Amino acid sequence: MKAYYGRQLLNPKIEARPKNLITLPTFIDSVCQRCGQKNTEKLPNNHYYCCGCLTLGRVSSHDVLLHLPEPNEFDGKAALSWQGQLTAQQQVVSDELIQTLLYKREHLVWAVTGAGKTEMLFPVIHHALQKKYRVGIVSPRVDVIIELAPRFRAAFSETDMVVLHGAQTEDYRYTQLVLATTHQMLRFKSAFDLLIVDEVDSFPYDGDKMLVHAVKHARKASSALIYLSATPTKKLQKRVTSKDLTVSYLPLRFHQHLLPLLKTTVVGHWRKKLPSKFLRQLKKFYQEDRRFLIFVPKVSDLRRVYQGIKQCLPDIAGDYVHASDPERQEKVQKMRDKDIQYLVTTTILERGVTFPGIDVLILGADEPIFSENALVQIAGRVGRNHDRPTGLVQAYIRHTNLKVIAAQNQIKKMNQRGRRLGGHI
Amino acid sequence: MNCQMCQNYIDNELSLLQTLGLLKNQKKLICQACESDFAVITMSCSGCGRQQKSTQLCRDCRRWQQQGKILLKHTALYQYNDAMRSFMQQYKFNGDYKLRGIFNSKFIQIIKSLSKDVIVPIPVSENTMKTRGFNQTTGLLEGIIYQELLQVTTIKKSHQSQFNRKARMLRQQPFTLKESSISLRGKHVLLVDDIYTTGNTLYHAADLLYSAGAINVKSISLAR
Ligand SMILES: [Zn+2]
Ligand SMILES: [Zn+2]
Ligand SMILES: [Zn+2]
Repeated sequence: MKAYYGRQLLNPKIEARPKNLITLPTFIDSVCQRCGQKNTEKLPNNHYYCCGCLTLGRVSSHDVLLHLPEPNEFDGKAALSWQGQLTAQQQVVSDELIQTLLYKREHLVWAVTGAGKTEMLFPVIHHALQKKYRVGIVSPRVDVIIELAPRFRAAFSETDMVVLHGAQTEDYRYTQLVLATTHQMLRFKSAFDLLIVDEVDSFPYDGDKMLVHAVKHARKASSALIYLSATPTKKLQKRVTSKDLTVSYLPLRFHQHLLPLLKTTVVGHWRKKLPSKFLRQLKKFYQEDRRFLIFVPKVSDLRRVYQGIKQCLPDIAGDYVHASDPERQEKVQKMRDKDIQYLVTTTILERGVTFPGIDVLILGADEPIFSENALVQIAGRVGRNHDRPTGLVQAYIRHTNLKVIAAQNQIKKMNQRGRRLGGHI
Repeated sequence: MNCQMCQNYIDNELSLLQTLGLLKNQKKLICQACESDFAVITMSCSGCGRQQKSTQLCRDCRRWQQQGKILLKHTALYQYNDAMRSFMQQYKFNGDYKLRGIFNSKFIQIIKSLSKDVIVPIPVSENTMKTRGFNQTTGLLEGIIYQELLQVTTIKKSHQSQFNRKARMLRQQPFTLKESSISLRGKHVLLVDDIYTTGNTLYHAADLLYSAGAINVKSISLAR
């Protein structure tokens, strides 16, 4: 029965089900009750199904949703096993988050990449767990979830936590702490007292009505909702200016160094021939044994750029990876384990994933696929650790355009704020 | 719009002939890349439609002959490769009924070209109709007239557990004939299924149709 606490699970109407469960209709006025979308497709005999949330298993008029209210069956004996120390700035934000929880508000944490967002969350989560609250931490991106899982496990080693995402095999179980992709929230109903949405601006959350619905639906009517972002969307920024949403700014990284600036170099047609300036940079990386990422605009660029590099610099070990690459996790792991010196990648690695001490090159940064925020996020991959708090972010462009300049300015603006807090290069 | 198989965006650009109205503009449901993953059967066993280097009867079909069966002269359009497996997964098991549109027009076009008097689809169980909500085979037949003459025999639960289900299925006739006004006496029947796997299902169905007076039973499926 615990499997139904705060959940809404699909069951065929004709199938027997445990007693005492609350049975909810799958559709009301053709609106899917799981995803909130009106996007049905016909089945024979006047039945229909929802196309909106099909990837989570089909919701049809042949089914019902089974639910039990969230009883918060927890002992409140949570311990924070994290031993680290928050910086003074992190502490301020962390206190604001505890206020958010007390008043069950919505709140945005606008923190630069590498600000140490995760650590700032620990106190508020610890607080919530002690109050027997159920806590959900979600992100639209699987990579982020996979990266966060061991950190939360370590920080709350005595609290059971389930990790839910499409690529996983772990079975669902009732836990006080839930780490999941935003999609998985469609299977919850009024479950969370504290819900934290990481990388709220990132694809596919931004503009996706279904996931907005999922988050709204998964939290209790009276609950706290915390958004985290380094590059909030205009929409969220507007809610901040109109005082509809409270905000904490954290313009400085945990190590107190400023963000590396985005440098640009104008080159010729790099798809025809890799620019010599670019190759010279790679050679330098090789000689100095520095690890790096190369971002390219399209999946079709990956192989060509990789092979171009192999031809000129055959000794340097690397690989290339894209979103639907079946070996995606393995390749990222190889980079993490330092088995390879570089990865050529599309925007999938623009955020969430961190490799300590890397530099970043961007080919075709002027092309439309790289938005202003994407460039800021990519630049944010660099200088993430104490030992090497800075690094190179080099964009190769054919023409300077407003978007590239806007990204450069966004970084400068954050650095101005950071400098006021005592940040330095 | 996005490809129904891989969700990548498809450019539905009109070709010159389509713009001139000389060729019907059919909205594509899947992208070029996914389409090319399906393997058309080019040369096959004349008994079961399996892709092979000649039209000679394969071992399985010779076995059917030895068992006294009249061969189904089965036609299959595509090989059951990874792409087809993933299509069936999404269409049948995830129940995405709209995916029938990927193969529907091509399938009925080929059926129309075959000689037959009556088209009979393989049925699904009542339980499947109440959970999946559709018969995957009749979905593919939309736009053509067919006769649902067969039904899946419902087996009582208690009975079922006494035997190993799979073993029993192989031996036992899973279907019964529905009461119908249509007589099969002297008729050429075309049996339709989504996939031809072992041939058991189709040969069982054919037995019934012959017993109801059909003069000849052939079969077709989307995949083999
Ligand atoms: Zn839905
Ligand atoms: Zn496709
Ligand atoms: Zn054969």
